[in-house]
Amino acid sequence: MSLRIAGMGWVTPLGRGIEAVWRRLLAGEEACAQPISSGPGEREYMIFRVPNAALKDLLPHPRLRRASAISRFAAAAALDALEEAKTAIGQIDMARTAVVFAVSNGGVAYTKRFYHDVAESGAQSASPLLFPETVFNAPASHLTAILGIVGASYTLVGDGAVGILAMKMAEDLMMSEALDYCVIVGAEEADWLLCDAYHKWRLLKTRPPVEPFHQPPRGMILTEGAGALVLAREGAIAVDTIHAGTNFSRQKGAGNSIADVLRGLGAQHTEVLISSANGTFVDQAEHAAAEREMPEAVIYSPKPALGESVGASAIWQIIVGAQSLGSKKLAPFLHVDPKVEGHFSRDLPMDISANTAIVLNCGLNQQVAGLKLSI
Amino acid sequence: MVAVKIPTSNVVSVENARVAIVAAGIVSPLGFGLDETVESLRGARDCVTPVTQFNVDQCRCKTAGQVGDERLLAGRRNGRQTRRLHRASHMMIRALEEALSQDSQFEPDLTVIGTTSGGMSFGQDYYRLLRQHRDLRHSASLIANYPPQKAVIDAQDAFGISAPCQIIANACASGTNAIGHAFECVRSGRYERVLTGGYDALSELVFVGFDSLQASTPEKCRPFDRDRSGMVVGEGAAILALENLERARSRGARVLAEITGYGISTDNHHLTQPDPSGSGPRQAMEQALNSARISAKTIDYINAHGTATPFNDAAEGKAIVQLFDQVSVSSTKGMMGHALGAAGAIEAIFCLLALRHQFLLPNINYRTPDVDVDLNIVANESRPARINVVLSNSFGFGGTNASIVIQKFAA
Repeated sequence: MSLRIAGMGWVTPLGRGIEAVWRRLLAGEEACAQPISSGPGEREYMIFRVPNAALKDLLPHPRLRRASAISRFAAAAALDALEEAKTAIGQIDMARTAVVFAVSNGGVAYTKRFYHDVAESGAQSASPLLFPETVFNAPASHLTAILGIVGASYTLVGDGAVGILAMKMAEDLMMSEALDYCVIVGAEEADWLLCDAYHKWRLLKTRPPVEPFHQPPRGMILTEGAGALVLAREGAIAVDTIHAGTNFSRQKGAGNSIADVLRGLGAQHTEVLISSANGTFVDQAEHAAAEREMPEAVIYSPKPALGESVGASAIWQIIVGAQSLGSKKLAPFLHVDPKVEGHFSRDLPMDISANTAIVLNCGLNQQVAGLKLSI
Repeated sequence: MVAVKIPTSNVVSVENARVAIVAAGIVSPLGFGLDETVESLRGARDCVTPVTQFNVDQCRCKTAGQVGDERLLAGRRNGRQTRRLHRASHMMIRALEEALSQDSQFEPDLTVIGTTSGGMSFGQDYYRLLRQHRDLRHSASLIANYPPQKAVIDAQDAFGISAPCQIIANACASGTNAIGHAFECVRSGRYERVLTGGYDALSELVFVGFDSLQASTPEKCRPFDRDRSGMVVGEGAAILALENLERARSRGARVLAEITGYGISTDNHHLTQPDPSGSGPRQAMEQALNSARISAKTIDYINAHGTATPFNDAAEGKAIVQLFDQVSVSSTKGMMGHALGAAGAIEAIFCLLALRHQFLLPNINYRTPDVDVDLNIVANESRPARINVVLSNSFGFGGTNASIVIQKFAA
C-alpha cells in the first residue's frame, strides 16, 4: 500500500522548519560545532546543538515543564508537521491518528543525572522526578498528551535504521480502517556520555568536519533534534515501498545487507540516493552497494552538514528526500573526499529531474533498512 | 507541492486471517522452559528472592524475581563473542532455542519484541568505570552490547535468522504491545510468520527507579489485596512464534493456541499513574474484545496486569468490574515479580499454558479482599477449570495500555 507524506517538521542544529533548514542546506551551510564537557570524564568532544531560538515559540504545556530536550524537540517537530498537514489536506482527526516514535538513545541526559546520583550517593538519592523521564517512551507519552491522542502509540528503539522501521510499522498500522493518519517522529538529544561511548567504539571524531567516504573512516559528529512526518492517504510525496531490512553481525557484512535492501526496493534505475554516510564504516559499505545496485544514482547525505542524529537520522533523510524531489534540487554534499569516485552533488546545489529517490539507512548497531519515495 | 489523494480502493481492509501460536519458549524466575513453568504455576511457587546482583541496602525493597546466572550461562558456547553478551541476550537465546525446538521450520518475515531497558546494566557498568577512571579498554564491548535491539539480533544470529527487528519500548506494556502488533501483522495478511515476545533483565537503575517512586514494596507483592503495598521487579524472556493458521496447518505445524484479539489505548492522565477511573485499561480491553469479535461473557479468565501498586490495581480492577461479570482474575506477578517489558510476553505464555492444561493461574500472597475492587480472584492456589478464551492485560508508564485475547485452538 502506498501512503503519502502530508506534513513534515524539522528541528535541527541549522534551525527549525522545513523550508528554513532546506534553504541553508542548499546554500551549503553546515552546523556550528560546540564543545561539550559535562561528563564524568576529562575528554572534550564537539557536537552540533539545536539553537535555543529554535524552540522559543514552542507553546507551553504542563507536560513539557520538566521534560527533557528530546521531548521538546519531538513536540516542536510534530506540531509543525501537523500544522503543515492541516494546510495541505485539512483537519486531522486525532481519534484516527496513531503515533510511532523512533529513538535510539532516548532521554540520556536525565538517565545520566539519575544514575549519577545513585552511583555517587547511593539509592537513597535516586530522584523519583527524574526516573520516569528515563523511560524510552516518555517523549512519546508527552507528545500524545499534547496532541490528545488516546489510541495507538508505539515507541521503537534501534540504531539509525529505526526511523525506517517506524515507517514500516506506520504502514502496517494504517492497514487498519480505523486509522487515517500516523505521526512518525524520530528524535534524539546529544550528551557527553554518548560522545564518549561512540568515541570508545571508534566511531566518533572529536571535532568537525565530517568527511564522508574518507579511507580510513575518520568518524562522525553527534547531533540532536527531531524530525516528524504525518503519514496519510493524501499528500505530495508518496512512500512507494518500505523495506524493513535486515541485520548484519559484523561491520564487514554491512555491504551485503545494504545490497539486499537496495535490491528489495527495486532501486536499480532510481536516480537519487539519500545515504546515511556519516564518516564511519557505513560510508564504504553504502558506496560499494550503491555502485553495484544503483549505478546511475546521485548520492547525497545530510550528515556532514547536520551531524549524526541516530534515532532521528532516517526521518531527517526522508525529509531531505522529499524536499529534493519537490524542489528538483540536491544540496551540496559537504566534505566528500575528492579522491572518491562517484556521482555526488559536491560543491553546488545540483538540479535533478528525478521523480523517485531511495532513502537508505545503515545503522551503527547492525540494522539496515530503506524506502523509496516518489512524487 | 500539490497534495495527491490515493483512491480509497487502495486502502486495504483487514483480511482477518486466523493467527496461530505454533511455538513458544520462556526463561523466567518460574523456570527454564514450558514444562518447568507449568509446574511452578500449578504449584503456586513464590520465586521472589533477595536481590543478589547489586547492593540494595539503601532500598526499601530488597527482593526481586531473578533468573539464576549459573543455570542461564551453563553450556553456553565459550567463544569470546558469546562471553561478552549481556545476560539479556542469553535469556533471549534460551527462549528462542526452546521455541525453535518445537518448530525448526519457523522462519519469520519480521520480529517484533518488547523491552524497557535492553542491556541497561552494561550502561551502568560503563558509567561506573568512567567515574572511577578505571581501565576502559574493554568498554567498547559494553557499549556495543547495551542497545535494546542487540539481545534480539544476538538470539536471531544464534539460529541463523536475519528478520528485521522492531523493538517496542512502551514501558511495561511493551511485551503485550509487541504480541498485539505481531498479531495484527499476520491477521492483515501482510506477513505469514512473525516472531514476537519480550525480554528484560534486572538492572540497578530500573530497580532503584521503582524504589524511588515507592512503587516497589518492602513486603510481599500482593496483587489486588486490600493491604497491597507495591510491586517487586522481575526479569525474563519469552518468545512466541505466530503464523497464519492456514499456512501453519498446511505445513503440518502444531497449533498451540490462537490469538484472536488486540487492543491498545493511551491514557494521558499522568506519566506514571493511570487515570483512576480505569478508562485507559477499559478502552484497551474493549478494543481487544471487539477485535476478537466476542462479548465480555466469552472470557473465562483474565490474567491481570496486577502490579500490586495501589493505583494500578484500583484502576484495573474498576475497569474489569465495569466490563465483566465475576470472571476469574489473577495476577501472576506475586510469584515472579514484574518483568516489565517481558511481562506481557511471559504472561501470554502463562495464559497459553493455562489453556493447554486447563487450569486457572494463582494470585499468590492474597489475604484480604479489597472491598473497593470486587473481583473474583483466583486466590493463592491454581484451580482446574474449563477455559477456552482468556484475556491478558499489560499497562505501562506513559499511559500505554494493551490487552490481547488468546483462545484454545479448536480444529
